[in-house]
Amino acid sequence: MASSVNFRAAQARNKRKTYLLLASMGLLTGLVAYAALIYFGKGTTSAVVPIAVTIALVGVWGSYYGSDKLVITMTGARLIQESDNPQLFNLIHEVIIASGLPMPKVAIVVDDAPNAFATGRDPDHALIAFTTRILEVMDRDELQGVIAHEMAHVANRDTLVSAVAATTAGAIAILSDFMIRMMWFGGGRDRDRGSNSNPIALALSLIVLLLAPIAAVLLKSAISRKRESLADATGVGFTRNPAGLRRALEVLSADSTVVHQKSNAVAHIWIESPLDGKTVSRLFSTHPPIQERIAALKAMESLG
Amino acid sequence: MEIIIILGVVALLVLFFVAQYNRLIRLNVSVSESFAQIEVQLKRRADLIPNLVETVKGYAAHEKSTLDAVVEARAKATSATGINEVAAADGMLTQALRGLLMVAEAYPDLKASSNFLALQEELSTTENKVSFARQFYNENVRALNTAIKTIPTNFFAGFAKVTERPFYEVEDPQSREVPNVAF
Repeated sequence: MASSVNFRAAQARNKRKTYLLLASMGLLTGLVAYAALIYFGKGTTSAVVPIAVTIALVGVWGSYYGSDKLVITMTGARLIQESDNPQLFNLIHEVIIASGLPMPKVAIVVDDAPNAFATGRDPDHALIAFTTRILEVMDRDELQGVIAHEMAHVANRDTLVSAVAATTAGAIAILSDFMIRMMWFGGGRDRDRGSNSNPIALALSLIVLLLAPIAAVLLKSAISRKRESLADATGVGFTRNPAGLRRALEVLSADSTVVHQKSNAVAHIWIESPLDGKTVSRLFSTHPPIQERIAALKAMESLG
Repeated sequence: MEIIIILGVVALLVLFFVAQYNRLIRLNVSVSESFAQIEVQLKRRADLIPNLVETVKGYAAHEKSTLDAVVEARAKATSATGINEVAAADGMLTQALRGLLMVAEAYPDLKASSNFLALQEELSTTENKVSFARQFYNENVRALNTAIKTIPTNFFAGFAKVTERPFYEVEDPQSREVPNVAF
């Protein structure tokens, strides 16, 4: 898979896969709505589906729109100025020139694990943050690779992509939850279901309603993993130096400390997953295995 | 009824026309903007050089030929106009600076001086910025030139008065690579 892939091909492949996964999520939502239609009839479904979508939209949209400010509060990041760390700002300026993106806000998280993240609803409201440790352990080229990876998230609008994924997964979870509660209390089913009293169809729609939330979470994690690989490829497009990011990832994988801030809510935004690989199954992981990412970058290096 | 259909088709054609025209203009403006960025970064580098030369002189005054080469290349670079001339002078200066930094290797006192240490970070970042600005410019030129040659934008290039732009090519083959100024 990783052999002879330049960064343009890697970008195209990861984008294609994201579209496929987002389309699958749309399909899954449709399937859940259809299952609800079969099980409960038209009246209940047409009331519940819009409610579930609205709740999910309101919940996610707020955190998407204010993501730069929200994440600062959640991770304890502190905004810094150029005079606080001239070399870091030099490196960021370099990546800005290479990518043509606007200058992001820059923040520091006091933490003894090396890590970094990017957030913000669009490139004009972008925020990139670094832990104090990553600034200590990485050399110029490695840090440049990390910055390029974070600015690649900004360029690829990954906050938006993950907000769309979270909204869909949220709507499916709420919908399924509603339906299961209704079944529990025996109410909600329309009296005039008519043709849809086929027991097999009823059983199938019940299974769909029960399994859909898990499927949605799996899809959401898969999207997050593809966006990480895409950010690696886009970042190499900015610096044309896969070795820098590759060595940075090696430093991250060699370091066993993880950020104290282990909340699931913000796990997906860091460059290296802060959640312990053993406790999170691969399918639910928000990041591809770091060795796989290193191998993909090495393949880009061999192209010269 | 027919009138509405005809008007609709005309409106769509106009929208299509405007979109192609604007795309070409936008690409052309990006090329000019990114060329300006190269010039900004080259100027930054030129501004750093007198300070660097003075610092090196303090420790290695007898490396006259190397110092003169840098000063001369800087003078050429600051007076260059037009993309070809700018690119040629840029290549020369990159070469001369590399020579100067190699000379600096032989003077431990110079390498340890705080002034030189501050300059070395400034110079590394400026070299990277120059090189990334070139790369970004060439990306934009590539996008514009592709649009001018491909359907449907090629039909509008003449009307938008947009022509193919030259790539920024540095003479010295070594400096095509991202320079990593190591001290």
